Amino acid sequence: MEFIKQTLLLLWKDLLLELRRRDSLLTMFFFGTLLLFVFHFSFDLPPDRVAEMTPALLWLAFLFTGTLGLTQLFQVERENHCLEALLLSPLDRGALFLAKSCFNLLLMFLVEAVVMPLFWILFNLQGWNLLPQLFLVTLLGTVGFCVLGTIMSAITLRARARELLLPLVLFPLMIPVILATIRCMETIMSAGELGAAWSWLRLLLGFDIIFVTVGILMFDRVIES
Amino acid sequence: MRLCIDKLSKAYGFLWAVRDLSVELGSGDLIALLGPNGAGKTTLLKLLAGLITPTTGSIHFDETSGIARVSRARAGLLMPADHLYDNLTVQENLSFFLSLYGHRCDLQMITAALEEVALLERGAEFVGNLSSGMRCRLSIAKWKLLQPDLLLLDEPYGVLDGSGIDLLEAFLRQQTAHGAIVVMASHHVARALKLCSRALILKQGRLTFNEAKQQPWTSFDRAFGEFLPHGERWSS
Repeated sequence: MEFIKQTLLLLWKDLLLELRRRDSLLTMFFFGTLLLFVFHFSFDLPPDRVAEMTPALLWLAFLFTGTLGLTQLFQVERENHCLEALLLSPLDRGALFLAKSCFNLLLMFLVEAVVMPLFWILFNLQGWNLLPQLFLVTLLGTVGFCVLGTIMSAITLRARARELLLPLVLFPLMIPVILATIRCMETIMSAGELGAAWSWLRLLLGFDIIFVTVGILMFDRVIES
Repeated sequence: MRLCIDKLSKAYGFLWAVRDLSVELGSGDLIALLGPNGAGKTTLLKLLAGLITPTTGSIHFDETSGIARVSRARAGLLMPADHLYDNLTVQENLSFFLSLYGHRCDLQMITAALEEVALLERGAEFVGNLSSGMRCRLSIAKWKLLQPDLLLLDEPYGVLDGSGIDLLEAFLRQQTAHGAIVVMASHHVARALKLCSRALILKQGRLTFNEAKQQPWTSFDRAFGEFLPHGERWSS
């Protein structure tokens, strides 16, 4: 119970600060939208390759946008050494991990909720009815991205060129999530139903559960190192 | 309440910031932690606060290991202008930290604490708009509310004006009267000596002086003399 209270308190604090600063959300939103326009002007999607290319392009946009958010994730704690104040308190460090992951997840969802329909409009794609299913898969992929991203963001917190280092350490570890999400979306777009992508969905779910558990249990050591 | 530091050492790479330090402190002790720049004062405070882990040795707070979660709830580190969120208001900062430490978030208590540090009228203002002296006052209000058993202070005098210093010293006296242990690192030697019950001097990470306050204190005068600017003399 105390763990949940601490998580909600930290999440409330991060959301309040974001509401006042509007640094991360606005940057992520404009960057994500900008990437879509770059894709739109760079090439056309041939109708026979829509199922193959759409997930990859979307996830390229989400990855870059999400990385931008991750580099800012601990920024408020770096100012005035507030992270020290948190570490000094009796706070369960797993709650800090969960709150930061949830905060980043919320920002990503908001961006994705705008970017995905915009992608459909810009590329004049059919199959709007598949969008809720694709969004569900994206949600699972985003959980994996945010959870692992929060761990890596904490590991690179004290590194000098952390903005450069973070994608270098994060992207290779993200390969299972990216692969599973893209294959899952591809299968849904070509088969037209969620059930066909069950094996990839299981992989995604497994990845999410493992890394949420690892994060909660290990964040104590990660943040202190 | 006892704080036992046993053969404590902390190394950064090949550099020993604190080396082989042993000391035992009891309830109501107010320690002046003195020494030249780079002597290891801040490192020692961070070790006691559990923010960094010792390379060797141990810290025990009563029977609990110093870095255990239960001890963290009992220790407070007052950094004059740090550990506050700029984009939260004065009141929101206090509410947040009270909740974080599992205390009841009582608006009346917050108001009373702000009144004591003369910040009541700034309660709705963002901390980012406050001067460093006011931030220090807010930090005092924060620790007044949280009432730690072990209070650590790093150079608290630097940013405070006259009334701020009075406020800080009254707060420290109050803490020790309630049985808390206070460890204060400072270069304001005269002020620190006036308050303290014991002085520790660190030099290159080693404890070179550890004595309870006496009057006159010739041993301290001798030990501290070497850190004075050229040509100056010190007498406690």
